[in-house]
Amino acid sequence: MLNAALPWLLAGFLIVLGAGAVRRISLWRAGRPAPVDLIAGLMAMPRRYLVDLHHVVDRDKAMSNTHVATAGGFVASMALILLVHGFGVDNVWLARALLLTTVVMFAGAVLVFRRRLNPPSRLSKGPWMRLPKSLLVFAATFFIVTLPAAGILPDGFGSGILAFVLLAGIVAGLGEMLLGMGWAGPMKHAFAGALHLAFHRRPERFGGGRSTGLKLLDLDTAGDKTLGVAKPADFTWNQLLGFDACVQCGRCEAMCPAFAAGQPLNPKKLIQDMVVGLAGGTDANYAGSPYPGKEVGKAKGSAIEVITEGLVSQETLWACTTCRACVEECPMMIEHVDAIVDMRRFLTLEKGTTPGKGSETLQNLIATDNPHGNDPASRTYWAADQNLPVMADVKEADVLFWVSDGAFDMRSQRILRAFVKIMKTAKVNFAVLGDEERDCGDLARRLGDDATFQSLARRNIEVLKKYRFKRIVTTDPHAFHVLKNEYPDLGGSYEVLHHTRFINELVEQGRLQLNARTGGTVTYHDPCYLGRYNGEYDAPRAVLNAMGIQLAEMERSGFRSRCCGGGGGAPITDIPGERRIADMRMDDIRATGAEVVAVGCQQCTAMLEGVVEPRPEVQDIAEMVAAQLVDVAEPATAREVA
Amino acid sequence: MSQFDILFQPLNINKLTIRNRIVSTAHAEVYATDGGMTTERYVQYYEEKAKGGCGLCICGGSSVVAIDSPQSWWSSVNLSTDRIIPHFQNLANAVHKHGGKIMIQITHMGRRSRWDGENWPNLMSPSGIREPVHRATCKTIEEEEIWRVIGDFAKAAVRAKEGGLDGVELSAVHQHMIDQFWSPRVNKRTDAWGGTFEKRMRFGLEVLKAVRAAVGPDFVVGMRITGDEFHPDGLNHDDMKQIAKFYNDTGMVDYFGVVGSGCDTHNTLANVIPNMSYPPEPFLHLAAGIKEVVTVPVIHAQNIKDPNQAKRILEEGYVDFVGMTRAHIADPHLIAKIKMNQVDQIRQCVGANYCIDRQYMGLDVLCIQNAATSREYMGLPHIIEKTSGVIRNVVVIGGGPGGMEAARVAAERGHKVTLVEKADELGGQITIAAKAPQRDQMAGITRWLAMELTRLGVDVRLGTSANAAMIRDLKPDVCILATGGTPFLEQNPEWGAKEGLVVSTWDILNGTVEPGKSVLIFDSICEFSGMSAADYLASKGSLVELVTEDIKPGVGIGGTTFPTYYRSLYQKEVIMTSDLALHKVYREGDKLVAVLENEYTGQQEERVVDQIVVENGIRPNEALYYELKAESRNKGQIDNETLFDIKPQPVLSEDTKDGKGMILWRLGDCVSQRNTHAAIYDALRLCMHL
Repeated sequence: MLNAALPWLLAGFLIVLGAGAVRRISLWRAGRPAPVDLIAGLMAMPRRYLVDLHHVVDRDKAMSNTHVATAGGFVASMALILLVHGFGVDNVWLARALLLTTVVMFAGAVLVFRRRLNPPSRLSKGPWMRLPKSLLVFAATFFIVTLPAAGILPDGFGSGILAFVLLAGIVAGLGEMLLGMGWAGPMKHAFAGALHLAFHRRPERFGGGRSTGLKLLDLDTAGDKTLGVAKPADFTWNQLLGFDACVQCGRCEAMCPAFAAGQPLNPKKLIQDMVVGLAGGTDANYAGSPYPGKEVGKAKGSAIEVITEGLVSQETLWACTTCRACVEECPMMIEHVDAIVDMRRFLTLEKGTTPGKGSETLQNLIATDNPHGNDPASRTYWAADQNLPVMADVKEADVLFWVSDGAFDMRSQRILRAFVKIMKTAKVNFAVLGDEERDCGDLARRLGDDATFQSLARRNIEVLKKYRFKRIVTTDPHAFHVLKNEYPDLGGSYEVLHHTRFINELVEQGRLQLNARTGGTVTYHDPCYLGRYNGEYDAPRAVLNAMGIQLAEMERSGFRSRCCGGGGGAPITDIPGERRIADMRMDDIRATGAEVVAVGCQQCTAMLEGVVEPRPEVQDIAEMVAAQLVDVAEPATAREVA
Repeated sequence: MSQFDILFQPLNINKLTIRNRIVSTAHAEVYATDGGMTTERYVQYYEEKAKGGCGLCICGGSSVVAIDSPQSWWSSVNLSTDRIIPHFQNLANAVHKHGGKIMIQITHMGRRSRWDGENWPNLMSPSGIREPVHRATCKTIEEEEIWRVIGDFAKAAVRAKEGGLDGVELSAVHQHMIDQFWSPRVNKRTDAWGGTFEKRMRFGLEVLKAVRAAVGPDFVVGMRITGDEFHPDGLNHDDMKQIAKFYNDTGMVDYFGVVGSGCDTHNTLANVIPNMSYPPEPFLHLAAGIKEVVTVPVIHAQNIKDPNQAKRILEEGYVDFVGMTRAHIADPHLIAKIKMNQVDQIRQCVGANYCIDRQYMGLDVLCIQNAATSREYMGLPHIIEKTSGVIRNVVVIGGGPGGMEAARVAAERGHKVTLVEKADELGGQITIAAKAPQRDQMAGITRWLAMELTRLGVDVRLGTSANAAMIRDLKPDVCILATGGTPFLEQNPEWGAKEGLVVSTWDILNGTVEPGKSVLIFDSICEFSGMSAADYLASKGSLVELVTEDIKPGVGIGGTTFPTYYRSLYQKEVIMTSDLALHKVYREGDKLVAVLENEYTGQQEERVVDQIVVENGIRPNEALYYELKAESRNKGQIDNETLFDIKPQPVLSEDTKDGKGMILWRLGDCVSQRNTHAAIYDALRLCMHL
């Protein structure tokens, strides 16, 4: 009886899966068009899945093995099931192979099951608690059902009550795996995930590449086009597809600094809310951690309703520091930050509701080309005693030193002066733009004001065009990032270096000699825009090492560094939470026993120094290097005080 | 952006960019050695300010341009010889390498000097009128001499330029040669150099023309002038506005420095460097008045000590640059601390005027509270580095300025420090001194130290009387006694201290005894405490006579401070009597009788009063020291050779865990009575090597 029913059952489930898939695809197609090479994407997909995605998943070895066994077992089993039970290919060896794959899948499912016995809080519950049982049922049922075909049990096995039991198992298993895949069960991730990998909006990320720059916003509003994303349908179709790939593993949640600080953001919930939005409905079925301080079940939306009018609160979007910890951690390579900034673009450009000091800051940027509204003519005050070559005079230099808005801030000026001292000691041929430099646009862009970003960037590019230089060096990772990764979209392509890399080069070339540093333990804080955004983890450490420093590394360091709380305009929008991110980061630092935390970002410096004393001292690597310079011309007694 | 942004707006003087608005204005340092050369001490004193961020240093107050303007009395800089040029190069390099700018004040002091030394010159002035403050008689300058001096100014300016300095400031203030010509009070000439306004201006103009011609258009030439001489027959504010405008309109002056008050009497001199009795920036209005009529930047100093004050003055636009000269003597890292958001760590000038009062005695300028100032060349640090050696348990007994400085320095070195103080508050004798009228700012010295001790985590135990057992319990590696002293009223048993006939100035200032209706203060010391007690009592309504056997009451107080005491005491009708010693005191009914004896005739006279206060200095509190001395490893001794040489005490190289006991030192008045600076200096030079 079973043998007769199975092909029909399989066919039925496949048809339902197909129908579900068509519906899902139609939901995604509600999104805006996106330039994607569909064929190339599909061709690249297996490699993206097996190699790139596996690299991310493999950070958790146990989970990686579990998934390989379960998913591999399932894919192989499903193929064999279609052959053996669907098309009735009568081959003992095929059947025995199927037995093997179901065993593998079963083993994997056991591991999934065990993990679900006491799941960490980051994992969503609900249907996801059912999944391991379904997997076990699927594997066990098809193992038993295949025993006769494998010649291990007689053909007639499985009749009567047992047949009903097995039939129930088959329906349950196929239901979870096939129906669920097309109709928004947990297995949806396999279908959406595969296509998401194929049609990913940042194909550069695959094959070891890096793509972190925000995409340019088309400011043409002809045809009443909304700037940014107001409704789920305003996302591009492949962004919607990407949301659907989420497995609710909560790795993003575990890494999110805003979530940890009790601010109303949980990246996983945000993605799930996007899924609610694209399909329409409420978040009542969401079974994971809420946005801190927000009740689950009240959010509702649809593809054509404004997201911030019922689905996601504005504070949630403004709580993000754009640190990319979620993106870095996501095993499905979902782009949370892009989505958040897209929605911020709408709030800022269309609604004008940038909270906190946001509007004031943007107005300052528009009026004065700097965020705090300083007199633009005061940009070079910090260097009044430095005799810096200015590009307008010299026209040409090896290095263009991009000073950034740290020029207006006394604390940052110490970093700038230290770096100038280093360059002078190494006899670097450098020049600055002086009053011709403007804010790089990072802040405006992260606050959603792409118009101001583009205006600043274009004007900076115009200025840069006038001069000849080999490379740009800056002490500001935010400027570093936009100049390097975001200006090319506007026609400005440069070799841009963070000062730590440049200093490391000078040390390696023997142009700088450093005394060994004595004194207490040092740890290093990776700035997000240097580390995760640009993969620069080694140069800062190499420079510290060159001063004889053995770093006491934090648990959260390198690509898993925790944000200081200062990115993405978060200090400006200032969304309340239960803790301050900088305090948590300082606790990470304290845990190493360090007396000094080395940083490479003036924003990080400001945030960490904002932590109430007593606390470890915060020093930029440039300051530490400047204090250890071996300089024959200037003896150690002549050290600057500030 | 910071609240102090205005301080950090660069401004050009001529073509010279000054990085911020803070200036160390010209003052006589008394550091130039080898015949007026800017040698190592001089260079490092200014280098420290530049390192600390000062925008512009104008050095060399009253640096002379000619051999007949003596320099040796105040060890001022001598620009009358080419020998100065390489010394200037050292000075300029030291300041420039930290981004600072440096100029020098140049002058011919004319009659405002002394003739009885060095080259024994005839001093010169426009009309040969004697200068009272220096008792300086002088000749009337002749035409030939006038032109020679003008030439000397030009040559001196060229030497400054060749030495790499950024500019010169012509001193036309403090009644030097140029403003001697300006002032009709001193200039009675009827020739081409006196009489009408233009003729009185002529000497200064010829100097300016000669200097400008010699140094060219781009080299900074400034002028320091008074805003008002405050002499009834002197130059008033309107005169000075006219004068400033006259020179400004020549287009040859790049800036004006404005000082309130003339200074050729003791009383006006005190205005020039306002001590703690003055309000903040008392003469700013005069500088602002000059700014109204000139087109170049105006610099003004005088009692500007606080960054908030400087900020307010600049924001309100009274002047372009703020002089914070004494503020830099107290803390040459003042600007760095503003920039590092450590305003509360600035060691702020309290206006004690120890610096300038030493200068007027021809002694090197030192800061009452910062012993490292001008001793940079000896290796005394403004920033104390942490030790790389053993961490010691340091116990300091006594929370006066010496003990607090010792605790501060030891804590900066990274040691574990406990400070034990008998009283319920820190400060020692400073606390008493600050109780007198107009002397409250003295407390700033120990208030800063107390804040630093808190910041450095020193274990301060107040209201705790130390004894030997307690110290042993604390198991110190180093014990520093700074237990101060006690008023010495027993020197003459006839005073009747034992019988309670006399009380001390401490009793008065601390309020432990009620002020009497009529009070006689006998002051054998003639420094601050006697004057302060008299001022205090008079302010409480007592009838006071202040008697001394010395030359005059307050004779030990410096030139910028005794006048402000005198103003206050005369106003309150305190009678000041000199040349009488207190011979004996006895009781008569409910009155006390003081028997006074004339120092020179032996004649006795009596005063019948309600209260007799004796200021006879203090005797050291040394009991604890002698109790601990024997068990200490160094027997309480400090090795003077290494101390004076700013080297670590030899005993510090011993292993203190070898059971030979603690290191024991004592410093401050518990050794012998000296002053605040002495106690702080000893504390710093002893503890910086801990």
